[in-house]
Amino acid sequence: MFKGLVKWARIKSPWILHMNCGSCNGCDIEILAALIPRLDAERFGVLLKGSPRHADVLVCTGPVTKQMKERLKRVYDQMPEPKFVVVVGQCGSSGGIYQGAYGVEGGIDKVIPVNAYIPGCPPRPDAIADGLIKLLASIAKGGNP
Amino acid sequence: MVCRKGVESIDILLTLLYLFIFPGFIFLFAFSLFTEYLDRKIYARMQRRVGPPFLQPFADLVKLSAKEDVVPENAERFMFTAAPIIGLAAIFAAFLYLPIVSSTGLHSFNGDLIVVLYLLTIPTLAMFLGGWYSGNVFGQKGGMRVASLLFSYEIPFFLTLLTPALIEGSWKMADIVTFEITHPLVFIISFLGFVIGLIALQGKLERLPFDIPEAETEIVAGPLVEYSGRRLALFRLARDAEMVVGAGLLAVVFLAGPEPIVHLEPVYLSWIVGALVFLAKTLFVIFLLILIKSAVARIRTDQMISFAYKWLIPLTLVQIFIAIIVRFLGGI
Repeated sequence: MFKGLVKWARIKSPWILHMNCGSCNGCDIEILAALIPRLDAERFGVLLKGSPRHADVLVCTGPVTKQMKERLKRVYDQMPEPKFVVVVGQCGSSGGIYQGAYGVEGGIDKVIPVNAYIPGCPPRPDAIADGLIKLLASIAKGGNP
Repeated sequence: MVCRKGVESIDILLTLLYLFIFPGFIFLFAFSLFTEYLDRKIYARMQRRVGPPFLQPFADLVKLSAKEDVVPENAERFMFTAAPIIGLAAIFAAFLYLPIVSSTGLHSFNGDLIVVLYLLTIPTLAMFLGGWYSGNVFGQKGGMRVASLLFSYEIPFFLTLLTPALIEGSWKMADIVTFEITHPLVFIISFLGFVIGLIALQGKLERLPFDIPEAETEIVAGPLVEYSGRRLALFRLARDAEMVVGAGLLAVVFLAGPEPIVHLEPVYLSWIVGALVFLAKTLFVIFLLILIKSAVARIRTDQMISFAYKWLIPLTLVQIFIAIIVRFLGGI
């Protein structure tokens, strides 16, 4: 019963941390648009937090540049368990058009484990909200997606 | 002798009930979470949003308590852990002295108003210590902001809460409450003090427009930046409980708390009515606090300090002067 309660709480209160790992800023603007009053992410308990220590879901954008690789790892390590990673955009998923560029490491999943991908260049705000809710649904089913 | 023993055991039972269930710890816990819900919901409705569901604060609390326990390498483990517990304990202790069910609380004595005021200062100190010992630059910066803003709101808050005591001539909350209900003119005389108390309480709770220590856009989360898991949950709970106790204190001192008491035959019934009146008044004060929060934006540190010293404190002195004149003219 206690386990069920904790699981319910985890699904009901995902606090997100937004991180730009070298994106062109297109996806970041769309993430902010997903948090506006019109879509109202707080309905699902989503809060945007500034500190990695408070966050449950790391929302990353962009291809990981070589500069950003260590920082991304460190921010990921600073988050307390259990933690989830959502990648927004084509570049974050695979490297996108920056694949093979000399300063670019590749997609986010080359550096840290990823739970959900939201494709698009950039994805629509409602697609981002939908991706997050699908992640929550997969947590509800149990196991990692 | 047997009979006397029975009476005593019932008294002990009632005291335990008061301490732990109603209006003690469990009730304060539930009411704080409800207050946070109300705060976020009304705030959301004023921005034309839907707002969080009813059990949102409880879900946040459970989730945070079940998270990994992280103590940063640079933090001092003992103080880092002790700070939220000290803050929460002080708030819960302060709540017990408020007259909730009847004009006397659990234990009423001369000077309990001052005890509650001092107990309400401790969470601020705990916040400062927690930020300072977390070993993070943002945390230390936030802690310094907490400490430096302390004087700008604490002086008007203390002084303004003493005006009804000055009019009445007693430091006992039970006396103030009964005096106010028999002399309704006090409400008009101390109205200015109530407004000042509301603004100063907003600063004490570090809410908009005085959320300078936490300023998300400047210093991430201020003193709480390194806090995670159950320590953060305790700090959030302490913040909500402080809001309840602060609003309750204003309701007691300026709005006569649980009075007017209706004397009903089984004494329990009149206690329930008293508690309901108290809750209605507290919710009214909380609603005013939320209105202030949703109407304004954050101001700078220097703006807050100059506002406090140029406006709040002189107005408080005017209020105290009025109180002294009323007293000099022979009371009301």
